[in-house]
Amino acid sequence: MDAIVLVVRLLLGGLLLVAGVLKIGHAADLAASIAGFRLLPAAIVGPLALALPYLEVLAGGYLIAGLFTRAVAAIAALQFVLYAGAIASAVLRHIPANCGCFGPNDVTQADWPHVGFDLALAAAGAFVAWRAPGAYAVDRKLRGA
Amino acid sequence: MNRRGLLGATFLALAAIALAAVLVYFFGPNRHQVQTASQSPILGKAGLHSPAPTFEVATTQGLFDLAKARKPVFLEVFATWCPHCQRMTAVVDRLYGRYHSSVDFVGLSGSDTGMDGISTATQMDVVAWARRFKVQYPVAYDPLLNVANLYLQNGFPSFAIIGTNKKVLYLNSGELSYGVLAAAIEAVLRQSPAGKT
Repeated sequence: MDAIVLVVRLLLGGLLLVAGVLKIGHAADLAASIAGFRLLPAAIVGPLALALPYLEVLAGGYLIAGLFTRAVAAIAALQFVLYAGAIASAVLRHIPANCGCFGPNDVTQADWPHVGFDLALAAAGAFVAWRAPGAYAVDRKLRGA
Repeated sequence: MNRRGLLGATFLALAAIALAAVLVYFFGPNRHQVQTASQSPILGKAGLHSPAPTFEVATTQGLFDLAKARKPVFLEVFATWCPHCQRMTAVVDRLYGRYHSSVDFVGLSGSDTGMDGISTATQMDVVAWARRFKVQYPVAYDPLLNVANLYLQNGFPSFAIIGTNKKVLYLNSGELSYGVLAAAIEAVLRQSPAGKT
């Protein structure tokens, strides 16, 4: 089981890391994508667009390293549930929102398969949180120390 | 470093990210690029030579339904606060004067920020903008910015010309000359004349 948790942790962490890195330096594009969902006021969209890439990189790095695995995986799961909710609301309101999940070149439109993908990622995060920390995790060493 | 030290470092990193984001947003050199998200570039899903995403809006000259248009359609997505869009009204008006018998013109607001750059965009804001810049072509307020999300090409103003076959035949953005846009309209009229599908 620890090996499976490790694989899921690496996949989820890698995805967050890549998604975050691709967004860094493109706050305006990300702000536009977030605003396109028409859920948050502009005063929140701006700072969120600036901070989110770094938070994703941080979360991705922690998951890969297996540091504070349970908490970080739970936060990642919650994050993906929020993404899925935002995308579902755009689909239901017929808003052709761009995802922007992987930086400015990602012009994927909000659709139901995307909602399903995010929910699958949320389930993966929940699984890691449940069976944390898995193999080769810093958490194990800290516990042993 | 022990667990407590790492936890402290993590909270410190989170606080630093949050503080930096707020500081950059309010005081950073490029703050206007993210201050209002709708000022930022968006790439709509409309693609050149692809079927034109349909829309229906109430313009200052009546209802416009792309699905029912029998002429090629010249579409502009503007923001009332955008100086390029304000300057482009003279160019688009000139195009409208020359081509309105063979091309349907429609301008749509694509920002949730009003003309002063602070207030929220409204129907009255678009009407006031049209009056202030003596806009002759039909313009519409699009509260959900649906059309902007479909057609915006990385900034204001964006232009699309849709043929009678309901395909996007021209896409561009920015401050463009009368000659460039007139040539684009002429090219569309050659391959997609009014009334022919």
